[in-house]
Amino acid sequence: MTQFLDFSLGGIANGAVIALMAFALVLVWRSSRVVNFAQVGQAMFTTFISLWVYESSGSWLLALLIAIFAGAILGLVVHLLVMKPVHRADASGAIIATFGVLIALQAGAGMIWGGDPKAFLPPVANSGLEFAGRIWPVSWYDLLIFAVTSLLVIVLSYVFIRTSFGLAMRASALNPEVARLCGVRVSRMLILGWALAGSVGAIAGVLIAPSATLSPNSFDLLLVFAFTAAVIGGLDSLVGAVAFGVGSGLALSLVTGYSDASNAPIVSLALLVVILLIKPDGFFSQSKSRVV
Amino acid sequence: MLSIHNLTVSYGQVVALKDVSFEAPRGCVTAVIGANGAGKSTLMRTVAGLITQKSGEVTFDGSNLAGVSTEERARQGLVLVPEGRSTIAEFTIEENLRLGGLWRSRIRQRESIAGVFDLFPALAKRHKLLANTLSGGERQQLAIGRALMAEPTCLLLDEPSLGLAPLIVQQILELAQQLAVEKNLAVLLVEQNAVTALRVARTGIVLNLGEIVLEGPAEEIAANSELRHAYLGY
Repeated sequence: MTQFLDFSLGGIANGAVIALMAFALVLVWRSSRVVNFAQVGQAMFTTFISLWVYESSGSWLLALLIAIFAGAILGLVVHLLVMKPVHRADASGAIIATFGVLIALQAGAGMIWGGDPKAFLPPVANSGLEFAGRIWPVSWYDLLIFAVTSLLVIVLSYVFIRTSFGLAMRASALNPEVARLCGVRVSRMLILGWALAGSVGAIAGVLIAPSATLSPNSFDLLLVFAFTAAVIGGLDSLVGAVAFGVGSGLALSLVTGYSDASNAPIVSLALLVVILLIKPDGFFSQSKSRVV
Repeated sequence: MLSIHNLTVSYGQVVALKDVSFEAPRGCVTAVIGANGAGKSTLMRTVAGLITQKSGEVTFDGSNLAGVSTEERARQGLVLVPEGRSTIAEFTIEENLRLGGLWRSRIRQRESIAGVFDLFPALAKRHKLLANTLSGGERQQLAIGRALMAEPTCLLLDEPSLGLAPLIVQQILELAQQLAVEKNLAVLLVEQNAVTALRVARTGIVLNLGEIVLEGPAEEIAANSELRHAYLGY
């Protein structure tokens, strides 16, 4: 039982990062109806930039802010330079194009920063906390991850649910034509959606980097887990992405704990297949079937 | 006032509208009637800027709308209520209404919402409920209410009677007339339901296979039985 608790607690921080990446995927899906497989590539790229800022300035907070900014710019660039022209020609080609962007970003990062894994040191201690006479599988850094993620989810939920900007974003996602007829500048909302997703992904990248090493391919597995969480959540539900992101973090930690880390991606994919078979719309899908 | 001059629209080789010209003045309903495939929806979508014409002009309050996007036309007060249930099912009634005038100041939005709720008390009672809990007629009211949130000077109604019971159709079309007169709007109404549409309109325009075959006072068109047989099928 103690073991189970330890494995679960150990998975929460990881789950929070998966949740953020899934959140980014959902943001793009909602604005463009495209799964952006380049999302982790963008995050990897901005994390390299962030690492450079961190090492030269010594400030983790500044590094995080730069990552957020760079993430928005990169999201914007990917949307305007690649996705928009491709999407106009062919919607399914757009998904393939995101793979192209992913490969280009990984190759570019390899050329600039090299393929050797680099260490991204955590700003606070990343070793288990001692409390009530034992060492827990949760570190100060895990708590920081959890705090940043929670804050971000709360702020973004507020923006989406309560503000006019959020209403315009949601309308653009649900029914772009009606949104335009209501005076919403939908193409601008699309750009903002990509920029916002870029920033959220960038935060996820900076947060996860200290848990492993940073190399051009180091976030590939994160894509698998985040994609699974986003799809199970219904692909258009921010709540679903967060819930199943955290949930898959827990599940993966349990799988890793009780068997072996190399089983985690297989379990994730198996879960995806099973859920798609029984509930292809996911669990939190917002869109109601429209009855004519 | 909305003026349409020599408007031609085609989908590839197929000509959907050919040399259509007419005016929709403020303070009254102008009804465009015709059978399925006459080009009525194409006309509305072109005026709203969702489709780009091949040639001809749409002028609104004296300015040519060429190159003006759909969203900017809405902000200028030229608002289309599209065919079918165009309310957003996942939004509450209040959110659907707010969506209609997001660019306006909070105070103006609140005034407009109060006005819409006065007009449609059924919506006021349930403003926190999701739009998909409404009946067909109420959803049409919501769609019109949302258009009013933009403080339009020209309202485009594309087949508002579609799929509604006769009594509700009458109410909706009488409402269109009431709005035109009371708010001094130019209302352009497109309808298959010619009898009711002509009853509320000042001018009737009969569209057939993309061309205007007749334009005149609505009551004259309604009384012309030969014409009714030829183009309107009753």
